[in-house]
Amino acid sequence: MKLTAQIALGALVYFTMSCGSMQDVRLYGPSKSTSAFEKFPYKILFTSSEEDGLWGLKNNACKEISFETTNSYIGKDHLHIKWNESSCKYIGIGLKWGNYKGKNLWPILATAAIELRVRIDSGALSNVPMFFILEDYGGNQCRTKINYLDLEGGKIDTEWRRIRIPFQAFNYEKRGVNMGNIKELRLEFQRKGDLHIDNIVIVPHTHNYAHTEDTFTKIFDTHPIQIGEGKEYWWGINPKYSSNIQFGSSFKNESVIVDLDASKKKAWDTFGFSPYQWLRVDLSSIYTTSAITFKVKAAELPKIQAMLFAYSGKKRKLQKSLNENHFIERESGVFEAYLPLKSLVGYEDFRWDVLKEIRFKIMSDEPFEMGDFRLIEFRGNPKKPTKWRGI
Amino acid sequence: MERNINLFVSLVFGMLYALTSQSQVGKVEVTTNAAGHFELHRNGVPYYIKGAGAKDHFDLLAKSGANSIRIWSTNNGSFLDSAHQHDLTVALGLYVRPERSGMDYNDEYAVKGQIEQLKNEILKYKDHPALLVWGIGNEVDLRYSNFKVWETIETLAKFIKEVDPNHPTMTVIAGVDPSKVYHIKKHCPSIDILGLNVYGSIENAGANLRKFNWDKPYIISEWGVNGPFEAKTTSWKAKIEPPNGVKADQRKRRYKELIEKDKERCLGSYCFLWGQKQESTATWHGMFLSNGKPTEAVDVMQYCWMGEWPTSRAPSITDIHLDAKNWQKEHRVAPSTNVTLSLDYEKNNNKNLEFSYLLFPEAFSSKIGGDRQETPEKISLEIIEKSKSGIIFKTPKIKGAYRIFAYIKNFHGQCSVANIPFLVE
Repeated sequence: MKLTAQIALGALVYFTMSCGSMQDVRLYGPSKSTSAFEKFPYKILFTSSEEDGLWGLKNNACKEISFETTNSYIGKDHLHIKWNESSCKYIGIGLKWGNYKGKNLWPILATAAIELRVRIDSGALSNVPMFFILEDYGGNQCRTKINYLDLEGGKIDTEWRRIRIPFQAFNYEKRGVNMGNIKELRLEFQRKGDLHIDNIVIVPHTHNYAHTEDTFTKIFDTHPIQIGEGKEYWWGINPKYSSNIQFGSSFKNESVIVDLDASKKKAWDTFGFSPYQWLRVDLSSIYTTSAITFKVKAAELPKIQAMLFAYSGKKRKLQKSLNENHFIERESGVFEAYLPLKSLVGYEDFRWDVLKEIRFKIMSDEPFEMGDFRLIEFRGNPKKPTKWRGI
Repeated sequence: MERNINLFVSLVFGMLYALTSQSQVGKVEVTTNAAGHFELHRNGVPYYIKGAGAKDHFDLLAKSGANSIRIWSTNNGSFLDSAHQHDLTVALGLYVRPERSGMDYNDEYAVKGQIEQLKNEILKYKDHPALLVWGIGNEVDLRYSNFKVWETIETLAKFIKEVDPNHPTMTVIAGVDPSKVYHIKKHCPSIDILGLNVYGSIENAGANLRKFNWDKPYIISEWGVNGPFEAKTTSWKAKIEPPNGVKADQRKRRYKELIEKDKERCLGSYCFLWGQKQESTATWHGMFLSNGKPTEAVDVMQYCWMGEWPTSRAPSITDIHLDAKNWQKEHRVAPSTNVTLSLDYEKNNNKNLEFSYLLFPEAFSSKIGGDRQETPEKISLEIIEKSKSGIIFKTPKIKGAYRIFAYIKNFHGQCSVANIPFLVE
């Protein structure tokens, strides 16, 4: 072998072998920054009765609390609570958590959880009626309970099972709790139970669940609005059981032909529809300047009672019997009805942001057709709707 | 050789056990009969539900002609075992947290956690031989605002369809309403049966379901007398409860004229409550007293289910008066004065009847939807004079709202009860 080849081979062997003993060289040296979690000083809430403060330990008819020294998860002893709320309104204990120092949870809110270990003496449970409550220094409380997703093994049994309560799971926004100044953690117990608890600590935790938006409200803020579009949003029309009310076709949009069978009139004399797909309809910005209008094709004006329903609120129903003042004859046998919302008695107490349904009860025997329901702008006298020049 | 025989015997017994376990799982399905009426079939045989919301007194329930119980959650699996021992089937509730209990259906974590927990419960109970139908949620619609709850109901119903082809799915709502029917039809296609908890609204429930376009069958999942939430109240907000005899008549009429008559859509019913609970009073819905004694409501249910009255019937209080004004009126009395409480009752062939009376402070509660209520402690009652039609008693010294209860009991311990709220002022 030539010398150059020998040198090349030797170099290759040297470099190959020395790879294993290469030292890491960091470009920027070790990181000196610490995470928010590491900085948080109050990570231990309970590990044994001697070290960590609790209150509410006095036994009474509804709770029996002891510190047991056998079969603890950590430390000298653990908490054992038996409760039965039959004669008490509240059963709970509190953890002083850093001796009541104000704790700022904001930096760790998304990345940490309360962790504890629990067990029972026999059997298995998938949950216990136990709530976790954070109280701020303003006395505001938010709460949550054990979630199956963060219950180790999906059960509580005779093994020390890990439970995590992510800070994100507390309803602090809804309850207006200042998570920057938390005073204490409370454990509240309901109904009946018997539980061993140990090692309540704060741990890093990733919470990958979102809080979604409620999308069940339809806001209307400009006129005109076609209402009751789509036959699937109507009720009271079922040809299998009654021919009193059937869908018609005389108008551009949905309509019904009413021809009450006097003998069955009472049972099938009412129909209704959702203004918009059985969602909560929000008319709160326009109801004072709105009227319901619809067309009627009839030999003579029918007797009709209109009703409006809200999903919630103290006053959930408004109603009005229509009379000749509500109708204008546009052509022979074709009328237009106008019902200003302000003409409904009690309209001020009605929740116009959660309108549910518009319903009509028919009190005439003569056949007619009504339909093409709309909500239009109305700025006239509610008591004399057809006198307004705007219609 | 001996080892091989042992192995063979074990194998045979193992297979037999497996086959027996399999055959014990009832196959329940919703079908339509020749007349086009919906029917529930259990193991291929039509099964009309004669049921009760019940957690005990299963012996008497079976003896009275019932064939099923309804329970509201899977918290206590022993109810299924016990029902099975009494040859009763179970409409098993999966407790879906209602919004009014603090559940937020916009919170994915809470929603998913609940679903996973209930899936586990479904797997645990799906092969129980007593299982008749799944009740997914109870009154989740009561004062709700977030329609997303129906997505949870559907997720669970769909899961049941995947893992348990033997049992139909039902969701139970508090009264009928067109918007609820629409949302369940749209969002819960895997629901087979609508369960209706209807008290006063039972009168039009069947007709309304047809008007609201529900095109599947239904079960009257809770029914009975008009609830406290439908009752008249005194000016001091005490609910006025009818005497047991009046309530018994109402139960009988509703079963015979409303439930039993709807052969086309109704798969049966669960009366409420085969037991006792505090709901405004301790006696409103319960067919038993707190001491476990049956009332005339039990007799009525036997009559409804079997077509005949029991040999021994409870007495029945039909009217109760305080100072000659009956239970429907308001009663205001002065402190520490003597007043007369009198009863009208039917003896129902009972010769010797025992009368007793208890006084309680009024139990005002704002709880709804059958949520748990506290029972007040009884207070001392000073009886001045007793007769076979009532008592004269001294009203309490302290002003406030009270309620006096009168009980009649026969030799067998069968009872009737009535009460009157009164205000000491």
